[in-house]
Amino acid sequence: MNSIERMKAAIELKPVDRVPNAPFYEAPICTYFGSSMRAALMESQAMVDAHLQAVEEFQFDWAIMGMNLIGGIIPAALGCRVVYPENELPQILETAVKTIDDVEKVANSDIFTDHMEEFLKGVSKLHTRLKGQVPLAAEYISPFTIATRLRGTNEIMSDMYENPGLVKELQEAIVPLNISVGKALADAGVEYIFYGADMECPVLLSPNHYKEFVHEPTSKVCNELSRLGLKVLPHMCGNIVKSGIVDMLLEMDIHGIMPGNLTQENVFDIRELKEKVKERICVFDNINPNGPLLIGNPEEVKKKTREHLERAKGMSGYIFSTAGTSAPTTPKENFTAMNNEVLNFEWA
Amino acid sequence: MSLADILNAVVSFNKDAVVENVTKEISNKTDVDDILNKGLIGAMDVVGENFSRGDIFVPEMLQSAKAMQAGLEVLKPHLASDAAGQKGTVVIGTVKGDLHDIGKNLVSMMVEGAGFNVIDLGVDVDIEKFIAETQIHNADVLCLSALLTTTMPVMEKTVKAVIEAGLKTKTIVGGAPVTATYADQIGSDGFSKDAPGAVALIRKLISAA
Repeated sequence: MNSIERMKAAIELKPVDRVPNAPFYEAPICTYFGSSMRAALMESQAMVDAHLQAVEEFQFDWAIMGMNLIGGIIPAALGCRVVYPENELPQILETAVKTIDDVEKVANSDIFTDHMEEFLKGVSKLHTRLKGQVPLAAEYISPFTIATRLRGTNEIMSDMYENPGLVKELQEAIVPLNISVGKALADAGVEYIFYGADMECPVLLSPNHYKEFVHEPTSKVCNELSRLGLKVLPHMCGNIVKSGIVDMLLEMDIHGIMPGNLTQENVFDIRELKEKVKERICVFDNINPNGPLLIGNPEEVKKKTREHLERAKGMSGYIFSTAGTSAPTTPKENFTAMNNEVLNFEWA
Repeated sequence: MSLADILNAVVSFNKDAVVENVTKEISNKTDVDDILNKGLIGAMDVVGENFSRGDIFVPEMLQSAKAMQAGLEVLKPHLASDAAGQKGTVVIGTVKGDLHDIGKNLVSMMVEGAGFNVIDLGVDVDIEKFIAETQIHNADVLCLSALLTTTMPVMEKTVKAVIEAGLKTKTIVGGAPVTATYADQIGSDGFSKDAPGAVALIRKLISAA
Protein backbone atom coordinates (compact mmCIF):
# COMPACT_ATOMS: atom_id res chain seq x y z
CA MET A 1 0.00 0.00 0.00
CA ASN A 2 1.17 3.52 -0.62
CA SER A 3 0.10 6.28 1.76
CA ILE A 4 -2.93 7.27 -0.28
CA GLU A 5 -4.19 3.68 -0.29
CA ARG A 6 -3.38 3.16 3.39
CA MET A 7 -5.21 6.30 4.54
CA LYS A 8 -8.16 5.57 2.26
CA ALA A 9 -8.44 2.04 3.65
CA ALA A 10 -8.37 3.28 7.24
CA ILE A 11 -10.96 5.98 6.53
CA GLU A 12 -13.19 3.31 5.02
CA LEU A 13 -12.51 0.99 8.00
CA LYS A 14 -10.84 -1.60 5.79
CA PRO A 15 -7.67 -3.60 6.61
CA VAL A 16 -4.31 -1.82 6.38
CA ASP A 17 -0.77 -3.19 5.92
CA ARG A 18 0.55 -1.11 8.84
CA VAL A 19 -0.65 1.65 11.14
CA PRO A 20 -1.38 4.80 9.13
CA ASN A 21 0.90 7.50 10.51
CA ALA A 22 -0.62 10.97 10.35
CA PRO A 23 0.65 13.27 13.10
CA PHE A 24 0.45 17.08 13.19
CA TYR A 25 4.02 17.72 12.28
CA GLU A 26 3.97 21.11 10.59
CA ALA A 27 5.51 23.29 13.33
CA PRO A 28 8.42 20.92 14.15
CA ILE A 29 9.31 20.39 10.51
CA CYS A 30 9.47 24.15 10.00
CA THR A 31 12.21 24.03 12.63
CA TYR A 32 13.88 20.88 11.31
CA PHE A 33 13.80 21.70 7.60
CA GLY A 34 12.63 25.29 7.06
CA SER A 35 14.90 28.27 6.55
CA SER A 36 12.53 30.05 8.96
CA MET A 37 9.08 29.33 10.29
CA ARG A 38 7.60 32.24 8.34
CA ALA A 39 9.16 31.04 5.09
CA ALA A 40 8.10 27.43 5.59
CA LEU A 41 4.55 28.55 6.33
CA MET A 42 4.14 31.45 3.92
CA GLU A 43 6.34 31.00 0.86
CA SER A 44 5.17 28.32 -1.53
CA GLN A 45 8.56 26.92 -2.52
CA ALA A 46 9.96 26.88 1.04
CA MET A 47 6.72 25.22 2.16
CA VAL A 48 7.03 22.52 -0.49
CA ASP A 49 10.71 21.90 0.29
CA ALA A 50 10.10 21.50 4.03
CA HIS A 51 7.15 19.12 3.60
CA LEU A 52 8.92 17.00 0.99
CA GLN A 53 11.92 16.54 3.28
CA ALA A 54 9.60 15.67 6.16
CA VAL A 55 7.57 13.12 4.21
CA GLU A 56 10.73 11.54 2.84
CA GLU A 57 12.54 11.32 6.18
CA PHE A 58 9.61 10.35 8.40
CA GLN A 59 7.43 8.47 5.86
CA PHE A 60 4.30 10.22 7.05
CA ASP A 61 1.08 8.98 5.49
CA TRP A 62 -0.10 12.50 4.85
CA ALA A 63 1.33 15.94 4.27
CA ILE A 64 -0.55 18.44 6.41
CA MET A 65 -0.28 22.19 6.20
CA GLY A 66 -2.23 25.29 7.10
CA MET A 67 -1.18 26.61 10.51
CA ASN A 68 -0.68 29.98 8.87
CA LEU A 69 -4.00 29.64 7.03
CA ILE A 70 -6.05 29.38 10.20
CA GLY A 71 -3.85 31.57 12.35
CA GLY A 72 -3.11 34.42 9.97
CA ILE A 73 -4.26 34.31 6.37
CA ILE A 74 -8.00 33.90 7.00
CA PRO A 75 -8.21 36.37 9.94
CA ALA A 76 -6.17 38.92 7.93
CA ALA A 77 -8.36 38.51 4.85
CA LEU A 78 -11.42 39.15 7.03
CA GLY A 79 -10.09 42.38 8.51
CA CYS A 80 -7.77 41.54 11.42
CA ARG A 81 -4.36 43.17 11.63
CA VAL A 82 -1.89 40.28 11.50
CA VAL A 83 1.88 40.05 11.58
CA TYR A 84 3.99 37.12 10.41
CA PRO A 85 7.14 36.98 12.57
CA GLU A 86 10.19 35.23 11.14
CA ASN A 87 10.33 32.37 13.63
CA GLU A 88 6.91 32.34 15.22
CA LEU A 89 3.38 31.61 14.14
CA PRO A 90 1.27 34.48 12.75
CA GLN A 91 -0.08 36.83 15.40
CA ILE A 92 -3.34 38.79 15.38
CA LEU A 93 -2.59 42.28 16.67
CA GLU A 94 -6.06 43.76 16.26
CA THR A 95 -9.46 42.16 15.87
CA ALA A 96 -11.84 43.09 13.03
CA VAL A 97 -15.30 43.09 14.55
CA LYS A 98 -15.93 45.83 17.09
CA THR A 99 -19.70 46.10 16.58
CA ILE A 100 -22.41 44.28 14.66
CA ASP A 101 -21.96 46.85 11.86
CA ASP A 102 -18.59 45.25 11.08
CA VAL A 103 -20.23 41.93 10.23
CA GLU A 104 -21.22 43.24 6.79
CA LYS A 105 -17.59 44.16 6.08
CA VAL A 106 -16.62 40.58 6.90
CA ALA A 107 -19.32 39.23 4.61
CA ASN A 108 -18.04 41.40 1.74
CA SER A 109 -14.37 40.51 2.23
CA ASP A 110 -12.28 39.08 -0.58
CA ILE A 111 -10.77 36.07 1.14
CA PHE A 112 -8.44 35.27 -1.76
CA THR A 113 -5.68 37.68 -0.80
CA ASP A 114 -2.10 37.46 -2.05
CA HIS A 115 -1.13 35.42 1.01
CA MET A 116 -4.02 33.03 0.35
CA GLU A 117 -3.02 32.62 -3.29
CA GLU A 118 0.60 31.97 -2.32
CA PHE A 119 -0.51 29.35 0.19
CA LEU A 120 -2.76 27.65 -2.38
CA LYS A 121 0.13 27.73 -4.86
CA GLY A 122 2.26 25.87 -2.31
CA VAL A 123 -0.48 23.29 -1.76
CA SER A 124 -0.83 22.75 -5.50
CA LYS A 125 2.94 22.43 -6.02
CA LEU A 126 3.24 19.95 -3.18
CA HIS A 127 0.36 17.93 -4.59
CA THR A 128 2.22 17.67 -7.89
CA ARG A 129 5.53 16.75 -6.25
CA LEU A 130 3.96 13.98 -4.13
CA LYS A 131 3.04 12.24 -7.38
CA GLY A 132 -0.10 10.54 -6.16
CA GLN A 133 1.77 8.68 -3.41
CA VAL A 134 0.94 10.72 -0.30
CA PRO A 135 -2.37 12.50 0.32
CA LEU A 136 -2.62 16.14 1.28
CA ALA A 137 -4.41 17.41 4.37
CA ALA A 138 -5.14 20.97 5.39
CA GLU A 139 -5.76 22.60 8.72
CA TYR A 140 -9.07 24.43 8.70
CA ILE A 141 -11.19 26.18 11.33
CA SER A 142 -14.85 26.33 12.17
CA PRO A 143 -16.96 29.48 11.72
CA PHE A 144 -17.20 29.83 15.50
CA THR A 145 -13.44 29.68 16.01
CA ILE A 146 -12.92 32.15 13.16
CA ALA A 147 -15.49 34.39 14.90
CA THR A 148 -13.39 34.36 18.07
CA ARG A 149 -10.37 35.42 16.00
CA LEU A 150 -12.32 38.28 14.39
CA ARG A 151 -14.11 39.51 17.50
CA GLY A 152 -11.90 38.36 20.39
CA THR A 153 -12.53 35.29 22.51
CA ASN A 154 -13.73 37.07 25.64
CA GLU A 155 -16.02 39.23 23.55
CA ILE A 156 -17.64 36.32 21.73
CA MET A 157 -18.03 34.39 24.96
CA SER A 158 -19.70 37.44 26.54
CA ASP A 159 -21.79 38.05 23.42
CA MET A 160 -23.40 34.65 23.86
CA TYR A 161 -25.35 36.21 26.72
CA GLU A 162 -25.19 39.91 25.92
CA ASN A 163 -25.37 40.03 22.13
CA PRO A 164 -26.33 36.60 20.79
CA GLY A 165 -27.46 38.01 17.44
CA LEU A 166 -23.91 39.10 16.69
CA VAL A 167 -22.53 35.62 17.33
CA LYS A 168 -25.03 34.10 14.91
CA GLU A 169 -24.80 36.80 12.21
CA LEU A 170 -21.02 36.77 12.25
CA GLN A 171 -20.92 33.02 11.72
CA GLU A 172 -23.54 33.29 8.96
CA ALA A 173 -21.23 35.75 7.21
CA ILE A 174 -18.25 33.44 7.67
CA VAL A 175 -19.87 30.20 6.43
CA PRO A 176 -19.83 30.92 2.65
CA LEU A 177 -16.30 32.36 2.85
CA ASN A 178 -15.12 29.31 4.76
CA ILE A 179 -16.70 26.99 2.20
CA SER A 180 -15.02 28.88 -0.64
CA VAL A 181 -11.66 28.25 1.07
CA GLY A 182 -12.54 24.56 1.33
CA LYS A 183 -13.35 24.44 -2.37
CA ALA A 184 -10.05 26.15 -3.24
CA LEU A 185 -8.18 23.64 -1.08
CA ALA A 186 -9.91 20.76 -2.83
CA ASP A 187 -9.07 22.28 -6.22
CA ALA A 188 -5.43 22.56 -5.14
CA GLY A 189 -5.29 18.86 -4.30
CA VAL A 190 -6.26 18.60 -0.65
CA GLU A 191 -8.14 15.42 0.32
CA TYR A 192 -8.36 15.63 4.11
CA ILE A 193 -9.72 18.51 6.16
CA PHE A 194 -8.55 18.78 9.76
CA TYR A 195 -11.57 20.69 11.00
CA GLY A 196 -10.33 22.54 14.06
CA ALA A 197 -13.03 23.44 16.55
CA ASP A 198 -10.76 24.90 19.20
CA MET A 199 -13.01 27.44 20.84
CA GLU A 200 -16.27 25.50 20.98
CA CYS A 201 -14.84 22.46 22.71
CA PRO A 202 -16.64 21.18 25.81
CA VAL A 203 -13.86 22.51 28.01
CA LEU A 204 -14.98 26.05 27.13
CA LEU A 205 -18.62 25.88 26.00
CA SER A 206 -21.64 24.08 27.38
CA PRO A 207 -23.35 21.51 25.14
CA ASN A 208 -26.43 23.75 25.14
CA HIS A 209 -24.44 26.69 23.79
CA TYR A 210 -22.79 24.40 21.26
CA LYS A 211 -26.22 23.35 20.05
CA GLU A 212 -27.59 26.90 20.05
CA PHE A 213 -24.69 28.69 18.38
CA VAL A 214 -22.28 26.24 16.76
CA HIS A 215 -24.10 23.18 15.49
CA GLU A 216 -25.88 24.75 12.54
CA PRO A 217 -22.96 26.68 10.96
CA THR A 218 -20.66 23.70 11.56
CA SER A 219 -23.15 21.36 9.89
CA LYS A 220 -23.42 23.65 6.88
CA VAL A 221 -19.65 23.79 6.41
CA CYS A 222 -18.90 20.11 7.10
CA ASN A 223 -21.71 18.88 4.86
CA GLU A 224 -20.64 21.12 2.01
CA LEU A 225 -16.96 20.17 2.32
CA SER A 226 -18.00 16.55 2.22
CA ARG A 227 -20.16 17.19 -0.86
CA LEU A 228 -17.05 18.67 -2.50
CA GLY A 229 -15.37 15.29 -2.05
CA LEU A 230 -13.20 16.20 0.95
CA LYS A 231 -12.77 13.87 3.91
CA VAL A 232 -13.84 15.92 6.92
CA LEU A 233 -12.16 15.22 10.26
CA PRO A 234 -13.36 17.34 13.19
CA HIS A 235 -10.86 17.87 16.00
CA MET A 236 -11.90 18.91 19.48
CA CYS A 237 -10.47 18.78 23.00
CA GLY A 238 -12.44 17.84 26.11
CA ASN A 239 -14.83 14.99 26.82
CA ILE A 240 -16.71 14.96 23.54
CA VAL A 241 -18.61 11.78 24.41
CA LYS A 242 -19.94 12.73 27.85
CA SER A 243 -20.91 16.20 26.64
CA GLY A 244 -22.93 14.76 23.76
CA ILE A 245 -20.88 16.67 21.19
CA VAL A 246 -20.04 13.45 19.36
CA ASP A 247 -23.74 12.77 18.82
CA MET A 248 -24.10 16.18 17.19
CA LEU A 249 -20.99 15.61 15.07
CA LEU A 250 -22.35 12.27 13.92
CA GLU A 251 -25.39 14.05 12.49
CA MET A 252 -23.04 15.62 9.93
CA ASP A 253 -21.27 14.18 6.89
CA ILE A 254 -17.94 13.56 8.55
CA HIS A 255 -15.38 10.81 7.99
CA GLY A 256 -13.42 10.65 11.21
CA ILE A 257 -12.98 12.28 14.60
CA MET A 258 -9.72 13.50 16.05
CA PRO A 259 -10.09 13.80 19.83
CA GLY A 260 -7.65 16.05 21.64
CA ASN A 261 -6.55 16.55 25.19
CA LEU A 262 -8.90 15.93 28.09
CA THR A 263 -6.72 17.97 30.41
CA GLN A 264 -3.25 19.33 29.83
CA GLU A 265 -1.72 16.04 30.92
CA ASN A 266 -4.31 13.53 29.76
CA VAL A 267 -5.84 12.77 26.41
CA PHE A 268 -9.27 11.41 25.59
CA ASP A 269 -9.42 7.62 25.62
CA ILE A 270 -9.49 6.40 22.04
CA ARG A 271 -11.30 3.19 23.06
CA GLU A 272 -14.14 5.20 24.59
CA LEU A 273 -14.53 7.10 21.35
CA LYS A 274 -14.43 3.89 19.30
CA GLU A 275 -17.16 2.36 21.43
CA LYS A 276 -19.27 5.41 20.71
CA VAL A 277 -18.73 5.73 16.95
CA LYS A 278 -18.43 1.98 16.36
CA GLU A 279 -17.99 1.20 12.63
CA ARG A 280 -19.48 4.46 11.40
CA ILE A 281 -16.33 6.57 10.99
CA CYS A 282 -12.61 6.28 11.63
CA VAL A 283 -10.82 7.52 14.74
CA PHE A 284 -7.50 9.32 15.00
CA ASP A 285 -5.34 8.54 18.00
CA ASN A 286 -4.07 11.38 20.09
CA ILE A 287 -0.67 11.13 21.71
CA ASN A 288 -0.18 14.24 23.85
CA PRO A 289 2.09 16.64 21.92
CA ASN A 290 2.95 18.40 25.18
CA GLY A 291 3.87 15.25 27.11
CA PRO A 292 7.03 13.16 26.68
CA LEU A 293 7.09 14.06 23.00
CA LEU A 294 7.95 17.64 23.96
CA ILE A 295 9.64 17.34 27.33
CA GLY A 296 10.72 13.71 27.62
CA ASN A 297 13.47 11.61 26.08
CA PRO A 298 13.25 9.14 23.18
CA GLU A 299 12.79 6.13 25.49
CA GLU A 300 9.84 7.81 27.23
CA VAL A 301 8.35 8.77 23.87
CA LYS A 302 8.76 5.22 22.60
CA LYS A 303 7.01 3.83 25.70
CA LYS A 304 4.10 6.27 25.46
CA THR A 305 3.68 5.64 21.75
CA ARG A 306 3.61 1.89 22.30
CA GLU A 307 0.97 2.30 25.02
CA HIS A 308 -1.26 4.11 22.53
CA LEU A 309 -0.70 1.52 19.82
CA GLU A 310 -1.26 -1.45 22.12
CA ARG A 311 -4.50 0.07 23.38
CA ALA A 312 -5.74 0.50 19.82
CA LYS A 313 -4.47 -2.82 18.46
CA GLY A 314 -7.05 -4.58 16.34
CA MET A 315 -9.27 -1.52 16.05
CA SER A 316 -10.77 -0.92 12.63
CA GLY A 317 -10.49 2.54 11.12
CA TYR A 318 -7.55 3.54 13.29
CA ILE A 319 -5.03 6.23 12.35
CA PHE A 320 -2.14 7.25 14.58
CA SER A 321 -1.83 10.97 15.24
CA THR A 322 -1.05 13.62 17.80
CA ALA A 323 -3.72 15.36 19.89
CA GLY A 324 -3.20 18.58 17.97
CA THR A 325 -0.23 20.61 16.90
CA SER A 326 3.22 19.56 18.01
CA ALA A 327 5.47 22.34 19.28
CA PRO A 328 8.20 23.65 16.98
CA THR A 329 10.62 22.97 19.81
CA THR A 330 9.78 19.25 19.86
CA PRO A 331 13.20 17.53 19.87
CA LYS A 332 13.81 15.82 16.56
CA GLU A 333 15.05 12.66 18.28
CA ASN A 334 11.70 12.43 20.10
CA PHE A 335 9.74 12.85 16.91
CA THR A 336 11.91 10.19 15.29
CA ALA A 337 11.38 7.81 18.23
CA MET A 338 7.59 8.22 17.97
CA ASN A 339 7.68 7.78 14.25
CA ASN A 340 9.83 4.65 14.30
CA GLU A 341 7.62 3.05 16.90
CA VAL A 342 4.55 3.60 14.72
CA LEU A 343 6.21 2.41 11.52
CA ASN A 344 7.60 -0.74 13.14
CA PHE A 345 4.56 -1.68 15.20
CA GLU A 346 3.12 -5.10 14.36
CA TRP A 347 -0.48 -4.21 13.80
CA ALA A 348 -1.88 -7.45 12.46
CA MET B 1 -31.68 40.26 52.68
CA SER B 2 -28.31 38.66 53.46
CA LEU B 3 -24.83 38.07 52.21
CA ALA B 4 -26.15 34.83 50.75
CA ASP B 5 -28.29 36.89 48.38
CA ILE B 6 -25.17 38.64 47.09
CA LEU B 7 -23.41 35.32 46.69
CA ASN B 8 -26.35 33.76 44.88
CA ALA B 9 -26.75 36.78 42.61
CA VAL B 10 -23.09 36.57 41.54
CA VAL B 11 -23.28 32.81 41.02
CA SER B 12 -26.40 33.22 38.88
CA PHE B 13 -24.77 36.26 37.21
CA ASN B 14 -27.61 38.61 37.96
CA LYS B 15 -25.70 41.89 37.83
CA ASP B 16 -28.68 44.07 38.80
CA ALA B 17 -29.40 41.91 41.84
CA VAL B 18 -25.73 42.05 42.88
CA VAL B 19 -25.71 45.85 42.76
CA GLU B 20 -29.05 46.08 44.54
CA ASN B 21 -28.05 43.66 47.30
CA VAL B 22 -24.61 45.18 47.87
CA THR B 23 -26.21 48.63 48.08
CA LYS B 24 -28.76 47.37 50.62
CA GLU B 25 -26.15 45.64 52.75
CA ILE B 26 -24.09 48.85 52.85
CA SER B 27 -27.23 50.74 53.93
CA ASN B 28 -27.84 48.10 56.60
CA LYS B 29 -24.36 48.83 57.98
CA THR B 30 -23.17 45.29 57.30
CA ASP B 31 -19.39 45.06 57.70
CA VAL B 32 -17.99 45.92 54.26
CA ASP B 33 -15.24 43.31 54.67
CA ASP B 34 -17.94 40.69 55.10
CA ILE B 35 -19.74 41.93 52.00
CA LEU B 36 -16.45 41.60 50.13
CA ASN B 37 -15.18 38.33 51.56
CA LYS B 38 -18.35 36.38 52.33
CA GLY B 39 -20.45 37.84 49.53
CA LEU B 40 -18.46 38.74 46.44
CA ILE B 41 -15.25 36.77 46.95
CA GLY B 42 -17.13 33.81 48.40
CA ALA B 43 -19.30 33.80 45.31
CA MET B 44 -16.33 33.64 42.98
CA ASP B 45 -15.01 30.67 44.95
CA VAL B 46 -18.32 28.92 44.26
CA VAL B 47 -18.11 29.96 40.60
CA GLY B 48 -14.60 28.53 40.43
CA GLU B 49 -15.72 25.24 41.94
CA ASN B 50 -18.62 25.03 39.49
CA PHE B 51 -16.24 25.67 36.58
CA SER B 52 -13.75 23.06 37.79
CA ARG B 53 -16.54 20.50 38.07
CA GLY B 54 -17.72 21.28 34.55
CA ASP B 55 -21.10 22.57 35.78
CA ILE B 56 -20.52 25.95 34.13
CA PHE B 57 -18.32 27.08 31.25
CA VAL B 58 -16.38 30.15 30.13
CA PRO B 59 -19.37 32.32 29.09
CA GLU B 60 -21.05 31.76 32.48
CA MET B 61 -17.80 32.38 34.34
CA LEU B 62 -17.32 35.66 32.49
CA GLN B 63 -20.87 36.76 33.32
CA SER B 64 -20.36 35.97 37.02
CA ALA B 65 -17.06 37.85 37.01
CA LYS B 66 -18.78 40.87 35.47
CA ALA B 67 -21.56 40.70 38.07
CA MET B 68 -18.95 40.50 40.81
CA GLN B 69 -17.09 43.50 39.36
CA ALA B 70 -20.34 45.51 39.34
CA GLY B 71 -20.79 44.76 43.02
CA LEU B 72 -17.18 45.62 43.74
CA GLU B 73 -17.60 49.03 42.10
CA VAL B 74 -20.45 49.81 44.50
CA LEU B 75 -18.41 48.60 47.45
CA LYS B 76 -15.05 50.18 46.63
CA PRO B 77 -15.72 53.68 48.04
CA HIS B 78 -16.58 52.06 51.38
CA LEU B 79 -13.51 49.85 51.62
CA ALA B 80 -10.34 50.85 53.40
CA SER B 81 -7.89 52.14 50.80
CA ASP B 82 -5.66 49.08 51.00
CA ALA B 83 -8.42 46.52 51.44
CA ALA B 84 -8.49 45.35 47.83
CA GLY B 85 -4.80 44.56 47.89
CA GLN B 86 -4.45 43.38 51.44
CA LYS B 87 -4.11 39.73 50.50
CA GLY B 88 -1.10 40.30 48.28
CA THR B 89 -0.06 41.55 44.87
CA VAL B 90 -0.08 39.44 41.74
CA VAL B 91 1.45 40.42 38.40
CA ILE B 92 0.04 38.54 35.43
CA GLY B 93 0.51 38.45 31.69
CA THR B 94 0.73 36.31 28.57
CA VAL B 95 4.33 35.72 27.57
CA LYS B 96 6.17 37.32 24.66
CA GLY B 97 4.99 36.15 21.28
CA ASP B 98 1.59 34.97 22.52
CA LEU B 99 -1.47 37.16 22.03
CA HIS B 100 -4.05 34.88 23.59
CA ASP B 101 -5.76 36.27 26.62
CA ILE B 102 -8.80 34.25 27.57
CA GLY B 103 -7.05 32.05 30.12
CA LYS B 104 -5.04 34.95 31.45
CA ASN B 105 -8.18 37.09 31.74
CA LEU B 106 -10.09 34.39 33.58
CA VAL B 107 -7.23 33.97 36.05
CA SER B 108 -6.93 37.74 36.41
CA MET B 109 -10.63 38.13 37.16
CA MET B 110 -10.72 35.22 39.57
CA VAL B 111 -7.61 36.36 41.43
CA GLU B 112 -8.92 39.92 41.70
CA GLY B 113 -12.25 38.47 42.76
CA ALA B 114 -10.42 36.62 45.51
CA GLY B 115 -9.23 39.93 46.92
CA PHE B 116 -5.70 40.21 45.57
CA ASN B 117 -4.25 43.32 43.99
CA VAL B 118 -3.80 42.33 40.36
CA ILE B 119 -1.47 44.05 37.90
CA ASP B 120 -2.51 42.74 34.50
CA LEU B 121 0.20 43.45 31.91
CA GLY B 122 -1.86 42.10 29.01
CA VAL B 123 -0.51 39.92 26.22
CA ASP B 124 2.81 39.62 24.37
CA VAL B 125 4.72 40.85 27.42
CA ASP B 126 8.51 41.27 27.25
CA ILE B 127 10.59 39.47 29.85
CA GLU B 128 12.07 42.84 30.85
CA LYS B 129 8.60 44.25 31.47
CA PHE B 130 7.64 41.28 33.65
CA ILE B 131 10.74 41.83 35.75
CA ALA B 132 10.34 45.60 35.99
CA GLU B 133 6.65 45.48 36.95
CA THR B 134 7.26 42.69 39.44
CA GLN B 135 9.91 44.87 41.12
CA ILE B 136 7.87 48.09 40.99
CA HIS B 137 4.84 46.47 42.62
CA ASN B 138 6.84 44.23 44.93
CA ALA B 139 4.68 41.39 43.68
CA ASP B 140 4.17 38.27 45.74
CA VAL B 141 3.37 36.13 42.72
CA LEU B 142 4.07 36.40 39.00
CA CYS B 143 1.62 34.47 36.79
CA LEU B 144 2.73 33.53 33.27
CA SER B 145 0.25 32.37 30.67
CA ALA B 146 0.76 30.78 27.25
CA LEU B 147 -1.70 29.15 24.89
CA LEU B 148 0.76 28.23 22.21
CA THR B 149 3.28 25.45 22.33
CA THR B 150 5.47 27.83 20.35
CA THR B 151 5.60 30.34 23.20
CA MET B 152 6.02 27.95 26.11
CA PRO B 153 9.84 28.24 26.00
CA VAL B 154 9.49 31.95 26.83
CA MET B 155 8.05 30.90 30.18
CA GLU B 156 11.29 29.18 31.04
CA LYS B 157 13.31 32.25 30.08
CA THR B 158 11.05 34.47 32.18
CA VAL B 159 11.27 32.20 35.23
CA LYS B 160 15.06 32.16 34.89
CA ALA B 161 15.11 35.95 34.60
CA VAL B 162 13.16 36.26 37.86
CA ILE B 163 15.67 34.02 39.61
CA GLU B 164 18.66 35.82 38.07
CA ALA B 165 17.21 39.18 39.15
CA GLY B 166 17.25 37.89 42.73
CA LEU B 167 13.53 38.42 43.21
CA LYS B 168 11.69 36.59 45.99
CA THR B 169 8.54 36.60 43.89
CA LYS B 170 6.96 33.19 43.31
CA THR B 171 6.31 32.28 39.69
CA ILE B 172 3.42 30.17 38.50
CA VAL B 173 2.55 29.06 34.98
CA GLY B 174 -0.57 27.96 33.15
CA GLY B 175 -2.26 27.71 29.80
CA ALA B 176 -3.60 25.03 27.50
CA PRO B 177 -0.33 23.29 26.58
CA VAL B 178 1.37 23.69 29.97
CA THR B 179 1.67 20.76 32.35
CA ALA B 180 2.80 20.32 35.95
CA THR B 181 5.80 18.37 34.67
CA TYR B 182 6.76 21.23 32.40
CA ALA B 183 6.33 23.70 35.27
CA ASP B 184 8.69 21.63 37.42
CA GLN B 185 11.14 21.28 34.58
CA ILE B 186 11.47 25.04 34.07
CA GLY B 187 11.81 25.77 37.78
CA SER B 188 8.56 27.62 38.40
CA ASP B 189 6.91 27.48 41.82
CA GLY B 190 3.66 26.05 40.61
CA PHE B 191 1.17 25.23 37.93
CA SER B 192 -2.57 25.35 37.70
CA LYS B 193 -4.79 23.79 35.10
CA ASP B 194 -7.50 26.42 35.51
CA ALA B 195 -8.40 29.78 37.04
CA PRO B 196 -9.87 28.48 40.32
CA GLY B 197 -6.78 26.34 40.79
CA ALA B 198 -4.62 29.41 40.25
CA VAL B 199 -6.42 31.24 43.06
CA ALA B 200 -5.89 28.30 45.42
CA LEU B 201 -2.24 28.04 44.42
CA ILE B 202 -1.62 31.77 44.93
CA ARG B 203 -3.26 31.62 48.37
CA LYS B 204 -1.04 28.65 49.27
CA LEU B 205 2.17 30.26 48.02
CA ILE B 206 1.51 33.56 49.78
CA SER B 207 0.49 31.96 53.06
CA ALA B 208 3.62 29.80 52.99
CA ALA B 209 5.94 32.75 52.28
